[in-house]
Amino acid sequence: MKLAGLKSVDGAHEESIWAAAWVPAADHRPAALLLTGALDETVRLWAPDDLASAAASPSRGHALGVVSLAAHPAGAVAAAVSLDSYVRVFDVDSGSSVATLEAPPSEVWGIQFHPKGSALAAAGGGSGSVKLWDTEKWKPITSLAVPRPEGARPDKTGSGKFVLSVAWSPDGKLLACGSMDGTIAVYDAVRMKFLHHLEGHHMPVRSMVFSPVDPHVLFTASDDCHIHIYDAKEKSLIGAMSGHASWVLSIDVSPDGMAVATGSSDRTVRLWDINTRASVQTMSNHNDQVWAVAFRPPGGTGVRAGRLASVSDDKSITLYDYS
Amino acid sequence: MASVYIPVQGTEEEVRVALDQLPADASDILDILKAEQAPLHLWLIIAREYFKQGKIEQFRQILEEGSGPEIDEYYADVKYERIAILNALGAFHTFLGKVERAQQKEVHFKEATQCYNRASRIDETEPSTWIGRGQLCVVKHDLQMASDSFKIVLDEDGSNFPALLGQASVYFLMGDSEQQHKKALDYYRNSLDLYKRALRAYTSCPAAVRLGIAFCRYKLGQSDKARQAFQRVLQLDPENIDALVALAIMDLQTNEAGGIRRGMEKMRRAFEIYPYCTLALNHLANHYFFTGQHFVVEQLTETALSSSNHGLLKSHAFYNLARSYHSKGDIETAGRYYMASVNEISKPQDFVLPFFGLGQIQLKFADYKSSLASFEKVLEVHPENCESLKAIGHIYAKSGENDKAIETFKKVTRIDPKDHQAFMELGELLVQSDWATAMEYLKTARNLLKKAGEKIPIELLNGIGLLHFEKGELEMAEQSFKEALGDGFWVSIIDGSVGSSVVNWSIQYRDQSFFQQLEEEGTPLELPWDKVTTLFNYARLFEELHDTVKASLFYRLIIFKYPDYIDTYLRLAAIAKEKNNLQLSIELIGDALKIDDKYPNALSMLGSLELQGDETWLTAKEHFREAKDASEGKDTYSMLQLGNWNYFAANRPEKKAPKFEATHREKAKELYSNVLKQHHGNMFAANGIGILYAEKAQWDIAKELFTQVHEAASGSIFVQMPDVWINLAHIYFAQGFFQQAVKMYQNCLRKFFYNTDATILLYLARTHYEAEQWQDCRKTLLRAIHLAPSNYLLRFNVGVSMQKFSASTLQKTKRTVDEVRATVSELQNAIRVFSLLSVASTYHSHGFDERKIETHIEYCKHLLDAAKVHRDAAEQAEQQNKQKMEVARQIALADEARRKAEEQRKAQLERRKQEDELKQVMQQEQHFERVKEQWKTSSNTPGKRKDRSKHEDEEGGGEKRRKKGGRRRKDQKTKAHYGEEEEDEYRDEPEAEDDYANTARSNDGGDSEKAPGHLLAAAGLEDSDAEEDDMGHPQSAIERKRRAWSESEDDEPVQRPVQPSAGENDLSD
Repeated sequence: MKLAGLKSVDGAHEESIWAAAWVPAADHRPAALLLTGALDETVRLWAPDDLASAAASPSRGHALGVVSLAAHPAGAVAAAVSLDSYVRVFDVDSGSSVATLEAPPSEVWGIQFHPKGSALAAAGGGSGSVKLWDTEKWKPITSLAVPRPEGARPDKTGSGKFVLSVAWSPDGKLLACGSMDGTIAVYDAVRMKFLHHLEGHHMPVRSMVFSPVDPHVLFTASDDCHIHIYDAKEKSLIGAMSGHASWVLSIDVSPDGMAVATGSSDRTVRLWDINTRASVQTMSNHNDQVWAVAFRPPGGTGVRAGRLASVSDDKSITLYDYS
Repeated sequence: MASVYIPVQGTEEEVRVALDQLPADASDILDILKAEQAPLHLWLIIAREYFKQGKIEQFRQILEEGSGPEIDEYYADVKYERIAILNALGAFHTFLGKVERAQQKEVHFKEATQCYNRASRIDETEPSTWIGRGQLCVVKHDLQMASDSFKIVLDEDGSNFPALLGQASVYFLMGDSEQQHKKALDYYRNSLDLYKRALRAYTSCPAAVRLGIAFCRYKLGQSDKARQAFQRVLQLDPENIDALVALAIMDLQTNEAGGIRRGMEKMRRAFEIYPYCTLALNHLANHYFFTGQHFVVEQLTETALSSSNHGLLKSHAFYNLARSYHSKGDIETAGRYYMASVNEISKPQDFVLPFFGLGQIQLKFADYKSSLASFEKVLEVHPENCESLKAIGHIYAKSGENDKAIETFKKVTRIDPKDHQAFMELGELLVQSDWATAMEYLKTARNLLKKAGEKIPIELLNGIGLLHFEKGELEMAEQSFKEALGDGFWVSIIDGSVGSSVVNWSIQYRDQSFFQQLEEEGTPLELPWDKVTTLFNYARLFEELHDTVKASLFYRLIIFKYPDYIDTYLRLAAIAKEKNNLQLSIELIGDALKIDDKYPNALSMLGSLELQGDETWLTAKEHFREAKDASEGKDTYSMLQLGNWNYFAANRPEKKAPKFEATHREKAKELYSNVLKQHHGNMFAANGIGILYAEKAQWDIAKELFTQVHEAASGSIFVQMPDVWINLAHIYFAQGFFQQAVKMYQNCLRKFFYNTDATILLYLARTHYEAEQWQDCRKTLLRAIHLAPSNYLLRFNVGVSMQKFSASTLQKTKRTVDEVRATVSELQNAIRVFSLLSVASTYHSHGFDERKIETHIEYCKHLLDAAKVHRDAAEQAEQQNKQKMEVARQIALADEARRKAEEQRKAQLERRKQEDELKQVMQQEQHFERVKEQWKTSSNTPGKRKDRSKHEDEEGGGEKRRKKGGRRRKDQKTKAHYGEEEEDEYRDEPEAEDDYANTARSNDGGDSEKAPGHLLAAAGLEDSDAEEDDMGHPQSAIERKRRAWSESEDDEPVQRPVQPSAGENDLSD
């Protein structure tokens, strides 16, 4: 497995780029598109492989900066979370607003659509819970609280329970979330019930993703510079990978399930071999923190090779060939 | 069996005494001897028999009675026997003096002297007495006196056998004592001569005499003859131990296996013959030392020690004992015996080896002073002994005298350029001061070992790896560590082939049971003791490469095999701390303290962790103090930590009391100062003192301190000190140098924290805030929130900064619509941020005053209302501005049109001018042609006419030139003068006619009366030219007009030139 640099766009945004997500190919659009969100309060759309701007003008109004992006599996709509704690759902092609969601009284952070697109899950920030909306009428479904782990130290300020990240398993049966204090909670997404915690991290879990080929395997990225591999169903830690010099901010698994890509505060993107648990490649073309890495989803006309996108505080987007 | 017969006085009977049945109590036999007044020679016979039987005390008793006062009375007339008894007693005391120790030795020598003196008083000329004296002097090492004694005898009788042997012995001993080689050889030759004379005097003498000959030949370097002589001795006396030992030594000196074997065989035979031969004992002990039979060595050497009083021989014996104990690891006993060995000799030249051994022992006990002295003794004898030099270098290094150590090891490398040990030592000594040279030396050592085909020691590869590591050359370091470690279980950890179950287990469980399970499953987990350090370093390297999974596995393998390796627990604790697993970190430190509850590093580390906890920060002080006490005040780190604790205590929020704070700060300063006294270059202490000055607002002093620390830290690759950067930035901020502060904060963030530290971002935002750079402040805070989303202080601050931005914009007298729109948007954001905070406060205790938040919300709403009003007003103003701009645009367009029309008109005029100029040129040419025709006609006339014609031509040209110039000047004027120009042109034509007319009249007339008129006319034209040229001179012009006027009165033709003047007037106009 290998990464090769294809294209970089410097100054893709006017400020730090914090979020990236691929919009899958759709019936009316044969190729996947890349969404990026930034501190400049805009969301922009790009067409691979030359990363040309795919929209007439950027989508504005994401006040205080975009912290998370997610695209609906059908490829028609996408959602953006900004620091003003609104979730703005918009039509990808026209940019028009579909809905504006919020989860008072708390913030919203990481978001992800259910693999079938029927629901949108959001990390509920200071509320210490996960929020769910249905995607038909954009009504709240429920709020899943994160129980305090047994033996956890008393948290006077409550800052530890701030929920940052959220992930669905590819079969839609499990839902996991990560918190500032390293707590990871796993839920039965069918019965909407807490199952158990996953232990091992003691620092913020900023990103997580389930393996596309093994619905039980969860990969987590943390400020402790480690990537952990859990069996989310059996509640066991089955692997750990280290090598980043600073926080691991983002993580994604390749569509073939063989590799994991991570972006870090140490300005690098790393590719890891899941079998050997070793870092096989380190890309150093970013000059600041790498806030998002994303593999292009399978599908689309004429797509033969994999693509990985990374975005950075240095305002640049880089596209790699993954093979 | 032998008997003596004692005659009974007064009878012919005799008492028979069997010599093998002498009574145990000598008194019994003495009673008989006295009662019967037995002849003294019988006393001697009985005494000798007691001596032969080893009954020394009885021997002494009889001789002392035999020389008592009574004997002098009753045997006054018996001389020889009395002398013989006294001499025997003297010889006895001489022998005892020789074998006894110092005090007893002197007593016996004194007794012997008295015996010989009494014998001399009986008969001063008795040779046996002088021989006895001579031997006493030999034993006392008074060789000159001995020689004198023997010579007295030889002067009387040159063939006296005992005297010859005595003198030969004296010469031999003198040879041994002589420093000069030549003189020594002379003594040995004299000795040899005397031994030969003795042999001739007594051809059937004991073999011992030939022994003397053999030794002399040996000393004279005649090895073959010496060997023959020794063998001759053995032929005569097969059990002569001295000869055996001598031959053995000569065999050993061949350094051949066969010779050595034969030598040791002879030594063994000597030992069997006489187990108390010291020389044989020493050599055998030496032999068995090398075969590792220490028990035998002990027995042999102890026997040797008890059998000899010879200092050098005893020194050798002690040395062998010491070596034996040394090699067995009994360092203390070995040390005592080495010391005993050196005490038996007077100077190192006699026997240098025990000094070396003693130095090694003293070095092991860290008695560096004594050890240094011992090795320097070795160097007195062998100045270039590399082993001693290396030991001395090592001592200097241990004592902290690195310069001397380096110099010493360099000397070794000069003496022996292939001594890899010296290069290794040099490399290690120079690590701190000269990295490049250190690396060079270590590599030299490695190359020397490779060339020699020897295995490279693990310490050397480890040292090279460490140098690369400290230089930051991690890949090179890894290569060295790998080479040092070779094969082992760690290889599967390094290349990742170790089963994932091991990794998983090690992550999930804190104990080392998974290693035990691996061993039970058949995986060998060998870790030789000499590889532990390198494995530890390799783990440390993995930490630096941020591969803490492998690092942890290495540390735990070390713990599994060597549970007391305390630093591995601390490294694991450090890793846990970096991962914010503080509980595990504390537990690991606890494990370390179970091994050594006074380990300073562990105590300091525990204190550091406790300092971070609200419940435990007080106990941190106790642990820092324990660390300081455990290191007996030598560990500056624990002192630093105590200083930090006091500073920390001074700033605790819950105990704000000025006196309390001052006490802690004063204590902190005292501690920091103490650290600096011990180590002038300690950056952390200097930083601490700088902080204390800054707390008292003494910015300049604090800045100076921080700047120095900052420069020192920047120059070091080993010290990572972001604190001083932050402190400098704080100083700049406090002094209002906001730009410098911003720069310093940003550089620190990037260099040390990958821009991830939200606290420093907060400082940066504060600086932007004070500098009223609202937008930068806002962006910085938003970045901080993105990094630390659960820090609500940051959200509050971003709300305030947006509020400030809006207020400052609204206060401007002139605002653009965009600015006001941005203000409205910003205020809406601020209201939302504060609203969220207000509601969130019911869930979190983030320390905000809810009422304060409400106040901010109300204020922002108020500002928002005002902002909207301003926005509407600004939009109206914008509309009006647009209208004004439109009007201005229309005016501009009109001006543009006029400008273009003007340009077109000018272009037209330019074209017309060009056409006119062309026409004029053509006219002038026509005129010129006409003048030429006139000239041709004139040339036919007489001379005078010809001259006139020429003048006329000139005038015409001038006229044309003037007109042409005039036209040019006119061209420069406005079109208003265009008409005038035409008039001029019109006037020119008549002039031409006039000229023509003048010429015709001139030709027609031939009358001499008209000649003067022509001249005047010509003069008038010239004057006109002059006037043009001199327009600047009014008087001249006036005068010329008068002359013209005068001329016109005189003649009619003169009036015609006036018309050109009219042209001039036009010019003036």
